[in-house]
Amino acid sequence: MKTKSILIGVLVIIMLIGLNSSVFIVQEKDQVVITQFGRPVGEAIIEPGMYFKLPLIQDANYFEKRYMEWNGDPNQVPTKDKKFIFVDTYARWQITDPLQFFKRLTNERNALSRIDDILDGDTRDFIANNDIEEAVRTSNRVPESSDTEIIGDSLAKIYVGRDSIQNMILESANKQTTELGIKILDFRFKRINYVQEVQNQVYERMKSERFRIADKFRSEGQGEASRINGEKERELKNIQSIAFRDAEMIKGKADATAASIYAKAYNKSSQSRNLYSFLKSMETFEKTFDGKTSIFISTDSELYKYLKKMD
Amino acid sequence: MDIKKLNLPSEVKKLLEYWRLIVTLLFLVIIMWSSIFQISTEEVGVVTRFGKYVRQVEPGLNLKIPFAEDVYKVPVERQQKQEFGFRTLRAGINTQYRESSSAKDESLMLTGDLNLAEVQWVVQYRVDDAYNNLFKVRNPQNTLRTISEAAMRQIVGDRTVNEVLTVGRTEIGSKLQELIQQICREYSMGIKIEQVVLQDVNPPEPVKAAFNAVNEAQQEKETLINQAKSEYNKVIPKARGQAEETIQQAEGYAAERVNNADGEAARFTALYNEFVKAPEVTKRRIYLETMSNVIPKIGNVIITDDKGNNVLPLLQMQMNKKTGNDEN
Repeated sequence: MKTKSILIGVLVIIMLIGLNSSVFIVQEKDQVVITQFGRPVGEAIIEPGMYFKLPLIQDANYFEKRYMEWNGDPNQVPTKDKKFIFVDTYARWQITDPLQFFKRLTNERNALSRIDDILDGDTRDFIANNDIEEAVRTSNRVPESSDTEIIGDSLAKIYVGRDSIQNMILESANKQTTELGIKILDFRFKRINYVQEVQNQVYERMKSERFRIADKFRSEGQGEASRINGEKERELKNIQSIAFRDAEMIKGKADATAASIYAKAYNKSSQSRNLYSFLKSMETFEKTFDGKTSIFISTDSELYKYLKKMD
Repeated sequence: MDIKKLNLPSEVKKLLEYWRLIVTLLFLVIIMWSSIFQISTEEVGVVTRFGKYVRQVEPGLNLKIPFAEDVYKVPVERQQKQEFGFRTLRAGINTQYRESSSAKDESLMLTGDLNLAEVQWVVQYRVDDAYNNLFKVRNPQNTLRTISEAAMRQIVGDRTVNEVLTVGRTEIGSKLQELIQQICREYSMGIKIEQVVLQDVNPPEPVKAAFNAVNEAQQEKETLINQAKSEYNKVIPKARGQAEETIQQAEGYAAERVNNADGEAARFTALYNEFVKAPEVTKRRIYLETMSNVIPKIGNVIITDDKGNNVLPLLQMQMNKKTGNDEN
């Protein structure tokens, strides 16, 4: 009785262990390949849920189903126009065929190492076949500039562009990865930068460029100021001369009118002319004689003729 | 091994008598413990049964099947942020920032005209699809960082350094948000980009002075132009006024001249009309009248006679009288 119950107990424990090693759970993020003595059997399990396998004989190999990271080793690469740049890349990849993946790469580390080989090589090739601008720029967009600044920065024309290079690398890489059971979903340049020695040269170039722009601004300012000054001088002369001309014309016209009025009055007959010169003389006497004047007047004159004798 | 035979306190003995009940209760507590769970307000719970997604639960107390179901809590309402080019050391009223060399590497980038610029920015985001966030991408946070850096460089790579530093700031922010969001969608990351904020955008340290020189030159240009304009404005309106004055003066002169002429002519004509009636007399009258006006004003009037020699004494006498007057 007692040995029987012990036997049952042992059996239950063995069953539990068997159950435990035959039941396995596939999470949403997982996919599983079942192997029997190291050899894969059946299709890969992609759907999450609870599954069974033969205990002890079969193993469940878990693989990631989600997109995974890959970061490139920052590479020093010469471009087609012989500029040395660092290219730091990244990609997202996914195990699309776990069975194939298991056969070819076994685990993630091997996979990453293969992706390293493929993508780093392709990056090198494509960068070396293009000018630096093609890797930096995406489109031939026209830079906008505010109207106050005519700095004159311009963008060189590109023919391929960053997007296209990225896509070409992606395409080329995927051709090489299909039989590995993985797919690269996206490949991008994370950082592109000059190598340190070039960087200093670039700084020098940037400086000289900015100083050139500064000089341009300064000379533009001086030029504009001179133009305004000239305009001022012209305007001033113009205003003054027009005023002088108009004033003289007005005066002249008035003089003419006055002259004609005088002439009309004085020039009626010889008598009127006579009277005018007589009156003018009289007027002149009144105006010009004063206390300092001495005058000799003969008694023969009209004025004093009666002084001598009354006739 | 009978429990009753052991020398134990009576309370313990009593307790041991109910051991079945206690075990059952303990079992129930464990069941309860692993079947009730709480989701706080900013989270949702993603429930999987034997690994497979079954449902999503809202904040509050929730139930699950013990041992068979698992819960992943995802903070979908919490706004999270990532900083690029700098790190917040301590957030507060006076927030402190730190710029390490690795952060410098994040911010230094090539512009489209092959210049360098340092751009610092912040990406604010929220998980908006818990399922995708958990099960589509491994390590979504890191992925977002990488995406942001690549996207920023792509956008800056299409602009001139001047655009990046000045006019393009807001445009770059919105374009970046668009691009990051688009890539997140492609990856099914379940992340919604709430906002992208550009912080400091600067030229690299070694060329800062040169960029400042451009700004200064620009200011100088404005100043020169403004000075010239102000000089213009000082002179020209004044000259206009003076011109007006000259014209008005001329007009005044003209009016005076014509009016005088009219007056004099009228006067003359009037006189003339009377004069012609008796020319001799009128003329003489005028002559004599004038003389009577004029003579008193004259200092010395010496009347001479052709036939007499008495001019000199008379002259002498008058001179004496005059000097005598002056002496007084």
